[in-house]
Amino acid sequence: MINKSWWKILGIVLLIYAFTVGMLVPLKPGILSVSPASLRTGQSAQVKVLGYNSNYDKAKASLRAWLKLDEEKALQAESIEVLNDRELMASFQIPDYLPVSRRVQDFTIVVDNEIDGYSLRPSAVVVTQDSLDPSMGQQLWVNQPIEDLHSKEGMTFPFRNILEEGIRNTYFHVALWFAMLFLFIGSLTYSIRFLRKQDLDWDRRAAATTQVGTLLGILGLITGAIWAKYTWGAFWSWDVKQNMTAIALLIYLAYFILRSSFEDPEKRARIAAVYNIFAFVALIPLIYVIPRLTDSLHPGAGGNPALGGEDLDNTMRMVFYPAIIGWTLLGYWMASLSYRAERLRQLVLEEDE
Amino acid sequence: MDIFRQIIILFRKDFLLEFRMGYAISGILLYVCSTVFIVYAAFIDVEPAVWNILFWIIILFASVNAIVKSFVQENSQQQLYYYSLAHPIAVFLSKVIYNALLLMVLSLLTWLAFGFVSENPVQDSGLFMLALFLGSMGFATTFTFIAAIAGKADNNSTLMAILSFPLVIPIIMTLIKMSGTALGLSEGQNLDNDILILVAINMILLSMALILYPFLWRD
Repeated sequence: MINKSWWKILGIVLLIYAFTVGMLVPLKPGILSVSPASLRTGQSAQVKVLGYNSNYDKAKASLRAWLKLDEEKALQAESIEVLNDRELMASFQIPDYLPVSRRVQDFTIVVDNEIDGYSLRPSAVVVTQDSLDPSMGQQLWVNQPIEDLHSKEGMTFPFRNILEEGIRNTYFHVALWFAMLFLFIGSLTYSIRFLRKQDLDWDRRAAATTQVGTLLGILGLITGAIWAKYTWGAFWSWDVKQNMTAIALLIYLAYFILRSSFEDPEKRARIAAVYNIFAFVALIPLIYVIPRLTDSLHPGAGGNPALGGEDLDNTMRMVFYPAIIGWTLLGYWMASLSYRAERLRQLVLEEDE
Repeated sequence: MDIFRQIIILFRKDFLLEFRMGYAISGILLYVCSTVFIVYAAFIDVEPAVWNILFWIIILFASVNAIVKSFVQENSQQQLYYYSLAHPIAVFLSKVIYNALLLMVLSLLTWLAFGFVSENPVQDSGLFMLALFLGSMGFATTFTFIAAIAGKADNNSTLMAILSFPLVIPIIMTLIKMSGTALGLSEGQNLDNDILILVAINMILLSMALILYPFLWRD
């Protein structure tokens, strides 16, 4: 009993882990908004910073803030006034000239304290120059480099602009897609085995696995659409990746229509297996080639965050990989149940005859 | 090489059959002409960007119509006779080559028909011809293989559309991008890359079809 179904228990345990940890671990403190977002040169500006998950009131003594121009140049706030745990007012003295030859220059705001660690928001503030003089700006610039940053203790997920709490959907949307792909690969191997052995059992397994794979694909599409609603503003925005996934699902739905148009089980199994293999191969250009041809809102294109790099940090990996394995095992379990039900139905039919 | 001889003989058979009956070519040609006529009657003036998409959609539907009959025009006894004489791969490959040529002629004639009713927007004719050639190859491979699958079922023209359209979307999207460059709509960045992608997709689909066809033909 334990020997045979250990992987089912493992799948459930991993999913429970992914749900609880994925939902309960807090996000790293971040910056939600900065106002006013546009300043002028020569101004002594009061900037209001709205933080997220922050403890500005408890860490008053160690609070520091900067406007960061580039990797070397930064401007430190002269004074910081804390309004409450999430809001603070930082005063900056913007010099008369900036050391750049652009009229409008964007700055990253960096806030640091000993409890929250450092948080930043890229291009939070733009400074418009009245007149351009980079060499003058170079002379006037008093550089206050960003140093001795604190880091947040304990387990947290990264804070990303726009994504915010939605980053937790990585364990559902992305993990479901991976599980779907693994199930389709499983179904492909069953179809190949059927063509080699001509045993109807493999065909039933292939059909059951494709069924569950399509289900996970639909769930992945729905979770992705919900995510898109909160980040891109619409459930469906005719983005190339959304279209491609819809087409991929059409290919697999056509598989079931093809199956249902044959009466003879031998013929159905043979033709369905051939189509399954051909469709999987045709899916490769669909998934890997087309998204590279056109620009997309989706992560991995046009400077959007994606898997890899610093976007998926180690804390997230600790949940993300188990979630993939968990969904795959659950999907496989569902497929094996569906397969056994189909085989029993076949046995009952044979007994009736 | 026996298989090459078989391919040539079977190809000649398909060609002669078409030449004597003249049904497929003339039917498809009339189809293309009336579609082009409807398009211009409805649009009157067609922008190059729209021309590009309309052209490939007309080719897509004309190709499906031309190829869907590949495996059903001969009855099963006749097919059994072919398979007893020739290798199944030869039967399939001869059909693919024949259909690729048919589509090539078809798309050239569509281009002519378009040019006849209005100005020709194509600036780089060589590149456009290359797109037509690669497109005909890709469509012929995919549609011939799907026609072989759909031919086994009863309601085969519906099945043909739902099985094959999702599969050719990568090909048609790359083609539209490539011919967009030939029409002067885009700068043509990564043009070599697109051509390479099309060739790769065609090769993959053709080799997959050749591997799988021997499992498919037997009834």
